[in-house]
Amino acid sequence: MQENLLFGKLTLDAVPWHSAIIMGAGASMVIVAAVVIFAITWYRKWSYIWNDWICSVDHKKIGIMYLLLSGLMILRGFSDAILMRSQQALAAGGNLGFLPPEHYDQIFSAHGVIMIFFVAMPMMFALLNIAIPLQIGARDVAYPYLNSVSFWLTFVGAMLCNASLVIGDFADTGWLAYPPYAGIYYNPGVGVDYYIWSLQISGVGTLLAGINFIATILKMRCPGMTLMRMPVFVWASLCAMILVVLAFPILTVTLALLLLDRMFDMHFFTEFAGGNVMMYVNLIWAWGHPEVYILILPAFGIFSEVVATFSQKRLFGYTTMVWAIAVITFLSFVVWLHHFFTMGAGAKVNAFFGITTMIIAIPTGVKVFNWLFTMYQGRIILATPMLWVTAFFTTFAIGGMTGVMMAVPPVDFQVHNSLFLVAHFHNVIIGGVLFGFFAGIIYWFPKAFGFRLDEKIGTWAFIFWVSGFYFAFMPLYVIGLNGFMRRVNHYSNTMFQPYLLVAAFGTALVLIGILLMIWQIIFSIKNREALRDTTGDPWNGRTLEWSIASPAPFYNFSHIPEVHAIDAYWDYKQKHLAEGHVHPQERNYQDIHMPRNTPAGFIIAMFAGVLGFAMVWHMWIPGIIGFIGMIATMIAHTFNTDTDYYVPAEVVRKTELAHVREMI
Amino acid sequence: MRTSMDKLIKASCILLLISICMMLTGCEEQILGMLNPKGLIASEERKLFFDTLALMLIVVLPVIIMSFVFVYHYQASHKIREYKPNWHHSYFLETLWWGIPCVIIFVLAVLTWKKTYELDPYSKIPGFTDQPLLIQAIALPWKWLFIYPTQNIATVNDLVLPVGQQVEFWITADNVPMSAFFIPQLGSQIYAMAGMRTRLHLVANQTGEYDGMNTLFNGAGFSDMHFAVHVVEPEAMQQWVAQTATATAQLNDEAYIELLKPTIGNVAQVYSGISANLFDDAIMKYMDTIGTIHPRGNTFMTSE
Repeated sequence: MQENLLFGKLTLDAVPWHSAIIMGAGASMVIVAAVVIFAITWYRKWSYIWNDWICSVDHKKIGIMYLLLSGLMILRGFSDAILMRSQQALAAGGNLGFLPPEHYDQIFSAHGVIMIFFVAMPMMFALLNIAIPLQIGARDVAYPYLNSVSFWLTFVGAMLCNASLVIGDFADTGWLAYPPYAGIYYNPGVGVDYYIWSLQISGVGTLLAGINFIATILKMRCPGMTLMRMPVFVWASLCAMILVVLAFPILTVTLALLLLDRMFDMHFFTEFAGGNVMMYVNLIWAWGHPEVYILILPAFGIFSEVVATFSQKRLFGYTTMVWAIAVITFLSFVVWLHHFFTMGAGAKVNAFFGITTMIIAIPTGVKVFNWLFTMYQGRIILATPMLWVTAFFTTFAIGGMTGVMMAVPPVDFQVHNSLFLVAHFHNVIIGGVLFGFFAGIIYWFPKAFGFRLDEKIGTWAFIFWVSGFYFAFMPLYVIGLNGFMRRVNHYSNTMFQPYLLVAAFGTALVLIGILLMIWQIIFSIKNREALRDTTGDPWNGRTLEWSIASPAPFYNFSHIPEVHAIDAYWDYKQKHLAEGHVHPQERNYQDIHMPRNTPAGFIIAMFAGVLGFAMVWHMWIPGIIGFIGMIATMIAHTFNTDTDYYVPAEVVRKTELAHVREMI
Repeated sequence: MRTSMDKLIKASCILLLISICMMLTGCEEQILGMLNPKGLIASEERKLFFDTLALMLIVVLPVIIMSFVFVYHYQASHKIREYKPNWHHSYFLETLWWGIPCVIIFVLAVLTWKKTYELDPYSKIPGFTDQPLLIQAIALPWKWLFIYPTQNIATVNDLVLPVGQQVEFWITADNVPMSAFFIPQLGSQIYAMAGMRTRLHLVANQTGEYDGMNTLFNGAGFSDMHFAVHVVEPEAMQQWVAQTATATAQLNDEAYIELLKPTIGNVAQVYSGISANLFDDAIMKYMDTIGTIHPRGNTFMTSE
């Protein structure tokens, strides 16, 4: 009995010792972790890691940690993609491939969950953290400690999802865990529980981050930055965060109800006793559709920044841009049903949701034309961020087009659940979201790290990524139209095989692209002196983040800037070019009020991790410890009054002068 | 930078060519999906697919072309004189690109509204006045059961349909997670859910053998949950019905409980003598069960 309370359902049999692929992947994860821990110990960096990173509430450092998390998770998510593509390329005719369904089903589920929740979302928050406070002339986000909590909760969610690889199973349900298959009757294992708990924990982190950024953008803007002078990236992020705050509670509640079904035999989503399966499908997409826009809106914001900067021209149609974002934000909540026209809702409902969906194409199209006409009669510099934008136009136009086609219910009756759909959403999520985030990462990299990424390797990575993308997904459109369904493990008709071989080849090209990106980062770190950005303004930028040193000093702005126009820094450069700068020596520096670092966020998240893992295995004692620890740490932190300090004016002066010396 | 741009353009051209070749290489018989429709609904859907594509291309093609032309033409290294760094607004242009998409989407919306009603799976197919042939389809753990209630026969994983006659499907699921019924070359797909009945109307225009399948992932046997569709002349259909009616296997409660056990890649089976109200009972079983025990006990996991 006591053993049961302590270990729940967990036994040594939960580790799949017999599976070579899983044990190999698990072993390599353990080895990487061991090497990192050993290296930190060897170089005596534990106090540095603890004080400067784990306890940090600096938005730039939290942004970098988000970036690292998404970088690690994209490797895992992409390994899943390689396995899936190879399985489908091989398993034609009588061949069953090398992955049995029980393993393959977990892989495609994990791929979707990881790519959306632990790659795209952290990458978005990385860019928001790095850029937003700098773009609005603030010294940090509104709630720095909450920001640290958000990151560590996301981190723990991702780690819980990774733990499922070695200890037990992950969900084999698809990335949205539709009941009844995700219910306890069809799925009695721990896979769905891992899914629920890792998303619940990271979901709370996301919600808190959403609140944080809304408060930051609305309350922390510098003098003169009215709403209609905010950079478009800030606008897009504000709208995305409004969507986070409105949509993520739906996810939390839906998953909680599924958990109640599974743990306590309740009947929200069961097939019998009054449960309603389609209620889950409705609820999860009421979150799921806004989620897509949560990802794409910040990407739209990045395109707006990058296009204007690298065309050396003011963004075309700022006001329509903002209105288009607002319209998309609203419409994203009234289209969810297009994900399941085939449930048999009837013509009236289907037609309504089909039409609301295609209306979204209007503001989106407007944005694309505005970007195009920002380039028109500009002076385009084809640096790597701009290359990604160039590729985005075509991929997104194709993805948007197929999206509108699927919004027509009778067409969807044919292509729903097929590889046509898979190709479509990869078309918009890779070609829209990911390309945008890549552009953003390269664009803001110097601001975060102080040096640029190598352009030549970056161009090659770009070429492999984009061509790999087309090879991997265009064939899927074709066979999707021929009735090849998603999540298929093997197929009897060998006619599909050539297309899937081409898709697998495309995946190999993307792999080269990813390896080149890793090489690009290593190479750039090695050559960081040559690539150093001494000016703080490597791209001839237009917004406030380029007015300060690279990497940004920990207090961001020595003097809170005052804004007089859209593209504040461009405006400043135009007006003050002739006058010359005030020499920093002669400026009047003041003490700067800053938040103090705290380990509370990390500790809360670790207890949340204990709670999550314990509840997956029904380990009640550790579960209670995790829960109480979490709440106790939160309460204890409220008694901590030493949460801020002043940076002496002298320190600010020295830092600023060092930057000036570097510039000259 | 110029060289990388040229490389990019070359690469894109090659890609475009390859994808066009791939589109064209599939010959007629090899095309299985809606691109090679064999039923009225599927051909309407195919037509609608291409109409929508054409409407969308009105905007999408110029966007793609403009994106390449602008990026190529206005490169800083090309030293073009026209440079308007502060030109950022034009009522004419912005009205144009709010207006044109609005018009296109309006046309598409009208088309969508009309066609969604016309092709609603629940309503009878326009132009067919005769009484549809009723077939009850039940998704079972990784196989399909088709009951012909009037003819008092049933088949597993084998569907025989008369050409030119409207068929009405009643669809549900039993002891298998939510699934979806789909014959790509004949028409729409629709979900199969336990405790609920969904409906679908189809008509085949041409005799032949087609592939039918489940499209919604529902567990380990998902990939093999296909069924054969034989569309035959009405006379051949009658012959087949008469022949099947003599089958010795009866679909009584015992035989049905046997079918509820999970199997993968079932061979086709035929039954005569269907126990009365089998389809309705399968639905009501879920509607009537309360408490915490699944209506089918635990037959899903134990036999796996």
